[in-house]
Amino acid sequence: MVDETQLRQIAAAAAVAAERRERLVVTLLQMSLLMAILVGWTLASGRLVPQIFLSTPLRVAAALVRLVANGELWYHVRFTLMEALAGYALGASTALLAAVAVSLVPYARQILQPFLVALYAVPKIAIAPLIIIWFGLGVLPKVLLAALFVFFIVFLNTVTGVQSVSRELVGVAAVMGARPPRRMLAIVLPSAVPYILVALRLTIPAAMIGAVIGEFISSNRGLGYLINAASSRYDTAAVFAGIFSLLLVVVAMNGAVGWLERRLLRWRTT
Amino acid sequence: MAGDHADRPGRVAARLALATALEARGVYKVFVARREGRQEGFLALRNVDLDVQRGEFLTLIGPSGCGKSTLLNMFAGLVLPTTGRVAHDGTVVGGVNTRVGYITQDDNLLPWRTMLGNVELGLEFKGTPPRERRERALTYLQRVGLGGFEQHYPHELSGGMRKRVSIVRTLVDETDDVVLMDEPLGPLDAQTRLLLQDWLLRLWEGSGRTIVFVTHDLVEAIALSDRIAIFTRAPGTIKAIRPVPISRPRDVFRIHDAAGFGAIYKEIWEDLAQEISHG
Repeated sequence: MVDETQLRQIAAAAAVAAERRERLVVTLLQMSLLMAILVGWTLASGRLVPQIFLSTPLRVAAALVRLVANGELWYHVRFTLMEALAGYALGASTALLAAVAVSLVPYARQILQPFLVALYAVPKIAIAPLIIIWFGLGVLPKVLLAALFVFFIVFLNTVTGVQSVSRELVGVAAVMGARPPRRMLAIVLPSAVPYILVALRLTIPAAMIGAVIGEFISSNRGLGYLINAASSRYDTAAVFAGIFSLLLVVVAMNGAVGWLERRLLRWRTT
Repeated sequence: MAGDHADRPGRVAARLALATALEARGVYKVFVARREGRQEGFLALRNVDLDVQRGEFLTLIGPSGCGKSTLLNMFAGLVLPTTGRVAHDGTVVGGVNTRVGYITQDDNLLPWRTMLGNVELGLEFKGTPPRERRERALTYLQRVGLGGFEQHYPHELSGGMRKRVSIVRTLVDETDDVVLMDEPLGPLDAQTRLLLQDWLLRLWEGSGRTIVFVTHDLVEAIALSDRIAIFTRAPGTIKAIRPVPISRPRDVFRIHDAAGFGAIYKEIWEDLAQEISHG
């Protein structure tokens, strides 16, 4: 006679162990890959490529420590982060409002479509000098650039999401007594949430790009300025340190949106 | 018996003075679709006349594509006739008809709302205060045997349960004395379907509500209905209306054994067979 309780427990424990083993293997291989990159970088530097172009991981680490210790890094990160976040919020919120407005007003989407596609197709970097001319050298033009990088993706995705809503579901809501604004809020926008979240995730690096480009063109602070200034001094280690800091900031922002996504999409899977 | 439901006390006494809840008179419907770059008209309904009596369970049956769902959508005001007249309680339906309940084949539950949230939806749209609608939804869910799952999301429920929630969501709004159902049990497996037919009949019997039900399953139509309207193939028109002479309450699980089942089945099958074999 087989003890069924025991049998189930053994099977469950085996599954847990297999899962843990798999995770361990993946983590170990990831670490090895990272080590290989760092070692390869160290070896290449000064041998395959002059050190002045490549620096070394140790020098980059030293530059990072120096920048952190003298407070310089935090000073620049603060500006870039603030510009990117403000631009992100501004771009995403105006895009959402515009998408709702366009969806509610008859013909608005058809009329605006070609204009928006044309604007979207213009490389936003080409607009940057214009924005600097209009809004000067302060924080505002960087915020606007970041917003510009965010706006179109969120807008177009939201419009697509709104259009993907089941017409039958909207019909059911109408028969239940929901007027058009109510249908938009209670049915259409929530249906579009997965589309909106994809856009919000895609545009995090875009907001950073906008802010950094603004700083490249004209600024005396921010990570873009830090990288630019270091590169003009041929301080490659500091350039890498700046890039590395940008990477960390984007990863942190991604984490925040991932958290938001899990909260908002709880109904999808358990 | 069929007519008895009309005599039960309803909630809107004045409207109940009318014996006809819904009517269609000389209804034609042309759908226009683009085919090979040209707009082409397609006749979906041809000269449909129908009276739905208050309190009856009427089923529309016919070959697929015959326009029975189109007629149902006209009663809901989601589709308007090209010519002819569709009326509810004597008033022409000229736009979305919020005085009916409307249930589709797809459950159309909001996946981001719990079962309770979904059941409250219609009451919310009609402006019922939060406390009252919560109470009514909870009471109704208890009554129909869905208690204990209120906080579950649709993806956590079985197909049969989702279907029940979708029906309850419509029935909980008791200001709608007419309920339109478009193949609501269509996607379910055979056993669940029987269970839900039984469940639906129990909910409806004694409620005094008028139901217009669309199906292509003849046994289901006979098990549930007071009268069955048979559609011709497209362009659809009503070929015959046959009363179901089986007494209530009915046992859907043994409907084949009910007195009169064989005769009415044979009679309607003759009507339908001609339409299907032509197609």
